[in-house]
Amino acid sequence: MKRANYIFLLLIAGLAAALAVAVSVGSESVSVFSPDEQGRAILLDIRIPRVLLGACVGASLALAGASLQALLRNPLAEPYLLGVSNGAALGTLLAFVLLGDVAGARPVMAFAGAAIATIAVYQMARSKAGMNVERLVLSGVIVTTFLSSVIVLLTSLLDAARLRGYTFWLLGDLSQATYNGFYLTLAAAVAGTILLTSQARALNLMMIGERDAFDHGVEIGRVRIIVFGMASVLVGTSVAASGSVGYVGLIVPHIVRLVVGSDNRLVVPMSAFAGAIFVVLADTVARTAIAPRELPVGAITALIGAPLFIFLLRRS
Amino acid sequence: MLEARNISVRYGPCDVLREVSLSLSAGRMVALLGPNGAGKTTLLKALNGTLPVAEGSVVLDGRPLAELSRREAARRVAVVAQENETKFPVTVLDFVLSGRFAHGGAFGWERAEDIAVAERAVADCDLQNYATRLMNQLSGGERQRVVLARALATEAKILLLDEPTANLDLAHQAMIFRLVRGRCDAEGFAAVVITHDLNLAAEFADELIFLHRGGLFAAGSAEEVLSEANIAEVFGVRVLLDRSPASGSVLVTNVY
Amino acid sequence: MRIPHDRVTVFRPRVPIKSDLRNSRMPSVFRVKARQATQGDIERPVFLVRDICAERKSRAFFDLGCSNWDLGLNEMRSRFFTISVLTALIVLLGSMLVACGRQVAELPAVEMRVVKDDLGREVRLPVKVTRAVSLAPSITEMVFAAGAGDRLVGVTSYCDFPAAAKNVQKVGDTQSPNIEAIIAVRPEVILVSTASQLEAFASALEGQSAAVVVLDIRGLGDVADRLRRLGQIFGSGERAELAAIDFENRVAAVERRQKPERPVRVLLQISEADLFTIGRDSFITELIDRAGGRSVTADIPGGYPKLSKETALVLDPEVIILSDSPDNLKPNDALKNSAAVRSGRVYRVNADILSRPGPRLAEALEQLATLFRKEPTGN
Repeated sequence: MKRANYIFLLLIAGLAAALAVAVSVGSESVSVFSPDEQGRAILLDIRIPRVLLGACVGASLALAGASLQALLRNPLAEPYLLGVSNGAALGTLLAFVLLGDVAGARPVMAFAGAAIATIAVYQMARSKAGMNVERLVLSGVIVTTFLSSVIVLLTSLLDAARLRGYTFWLLGDLSQATYNGFYLTLAAAVAGTILLTSQARALNLMMIGERDAFDHGVEIGRVRIIVFGMASVLVGTSVAASGSVGYVGLIVPHIVRLVVGSDNRLVVPMSAFAGAIFVVLADTVARTAIAPRELPVGAITALIGAPLFIFLLRRS
Repeated sequence: MLEARNISVRYGPCDVLREVSLSLSAGRMVALLGPNGAGKTTLLKALNGTLPVAEGSVVLDGRPLAELSRREAARRVAVVAQENETKFPVTVLDFVLSGRFAHGGAFGWERAEDIAVAERAVADCDLQNYATRLMNQLSGGERQRVVLARALATEAKILLLDEPTANLDLAHQAMIFRLVRGRCDAEGFAAVVITHDLNLAAEFADELIFLHRGGLFAAGSAEEVLSEANIAEVFGVRVLLDRSPASGSVLVTNVY
Repeated sequence: MRIPHDRVTVFRPRVPIKSDLRNSRMPSVFRVKARQATQGDIERPVFLVRDICAERKSRAFFDLGCSNWDLGLNEMRSRFFTISVLTALIVLLGSMLVACGRQVAELPAVEMRVVKDDLGREVRLPVKVTRAVSLAPSITEMVFAAGAGDRLVGVTSYCDFPAAAKNVQKVGDTQSPNIEAIIAVRPEVILVSTASQLEAFASALEGQSAAVVVLDIRGLGDVADRLRRLGQIFGSGERAELAAIDFENRVAAVERRQKPERPVRVLLQISEADLFTIGRDSFITELIDRAGGRSVTADIPGGYPKLSKETALVLDPEVIILSDSPDNLKPNDALKNSAAVRSGRVYRVNADILSRPGPRLAEALEQLATLFRKEPTGN
């Protein structure tokens, strides 16, 4: 308990530091404490909303990853593995194509896409004898590849010029951050942290086995709905705001588990903070590495995430 | 405490369990015996609600099990299932503490009382030196004892044990049975134990039940159930019956 | 892949396969030494194996199928996969070659000549070219301008200018030409642009008794020369010469015009939300220079970089040119307080004439020059 509290404090301090660093650097140098008019525009209109959005997206994806991993008893589970991200991406694309710039259309459709993908995977994976993890993962792969082909098909059928920005966005890109996007992802991340942490004890049992959880009084169906639903909301809002930033949901909970063990009451909320730190720093690199050009933040997270992941995999 | 009234369980069209009745009262330890595929585990799953019964009903403390919430049921019935491996690094103490789920709230952290209960369970199962070890570093037998400790930590008075001694050495086999027997005698526990060891069952259980092809074949005390004819019929092996020189209970010897 | 027997007659017992990296810019064009029945030994690419996917993905969205917009991301993505497939294919094809060797076929008696293309390759062409395929919209425009539009028997689905190009058989798009459709129109010459990196397809097609000519137009300075070259290839030298002279005259006329005292600072915005723009290596940077402006992003490495919004805000352009497209209708938000927006100097220019390195670059140059001299309309 004592140690966990220190780690929490450390994470909060780390997030504060990451936000401070991220706000103070960029492709243009701006004095944070006494900015001129131009500097204020850069800070308030461009940099701060982007940094804040990055933090919320990171928290959301890490939360979704941590809780899905426990629910599915698979440390390699991820929103991507289940097709949730692709569902959200397809939803966003459809919103963009069918509804244009209607306010709120993107996140709502992204959530719908994520939820439908989740339900589809879940239904495919379910059999009379209950839910089988291997089957679920396989169904996730099928849904993911199916949705990817639909996305590719749509982008090739539709006017190329209208959708070219979409391809960059698909890689995960925070450059279109707005305060509205930030508020929405913040609401989702806060709700997600509370709701998923409230299910953490149940997840501790689910992580060991569904039968164990059932025997110990967990309402499995309810936990599943809460976790799948909340993960869809988290992934939907993140993807609508910033595309598919990869590896966050995989890497962050892994590292948190290495430090604090597998108790989801710690892993879930700590993943939120650690995810926020991770994406904020990754995006800082994306913004500054080849300034004044930009990289998609998804490329950075994958660049850090993939080797780290292999390292973790070999160690365990 | 727990009663099964004429229950049948089906997987699809086939009956796995046909009209089995069983009554468990405080202080009693029942051994479920039978060859592989006789429906022992299915019966156990039906008794705690994991599998729905197609016909008949399971009654827990006077109320149909189906009407109870999972949490209420879990506070009364604990299960030691055949072992389960997890891919996550969980410590033994955390694992045992997870047995306290039904006693805590949503954001609940364990209270001192929960930890005391868990520590006692750990000690009862001879696991004091393992508390901080990770589950996936333990041997099969050690893991099985941890699972039992978790079941004890639930403080449920009804224990359903599915081959709790399958991977255990001789000393720990006896220890588990003595432990369960002791709880039944001293604290009014009731237990259903699936085992393949007829001698252990004869030694410790109050009642032996032979399941055969999904139905109840015989039930009663060791003297009543363990007959050469019954065993030949159910298991298809020839045995000699004798008395244990140590305790005087029935002793079964295989004739190879 | 079928090996064309009429091209390859005798294979030496040991077939040297080597990747020829220096002569072609393609890392994975493999050449097989073969002997032709009548012409003696020549070395030519007979087949190729290449990672088309990586190439296509990196540019598909940005290329508009017609331009030089070049992003250059994702390049390495499936390299690893490619190498393994490559190795397997080499082994397979090597054994196929040995198996199907020693067949003799007569070459069709067509009078041939040798032309050097923009990769420095010597390409054998019929003296009289009657059937040609263009695999880039800019090249289609060039061929029409050079007076040989009637020889085109296949173009890409993006080729929409001049109007007559729309009636030519479509053989896929720039990124993914349909090899079968190309073979079906029986071209003698296939014109490809380095801009869209089509040598891959090119070499595959060359085996099909069609010569592939790479026509690499890097900007304003290349257009007249390439028009004349096309005139040579198609034997329409006179019309090509006229088109070349016309082009040179229009460019010279723009340069003779009175220039602004100092170059106006211009930002060319390719897409609004993502804020893609032009960098150092884009020919449009030069175009803006020649039109009397200066691209504010001229020093940024690369052809078509994605610009940081912060930098865009600081660059504070006096003129914003929007290359006309549905996702690029207004300046990015970061530019809302720029001098250009405040003074109303935001202009849309047809994306095709800007981005296709072809004869209409003269028109783009004229338009830009006019826009740069326009007085501010706002306050």
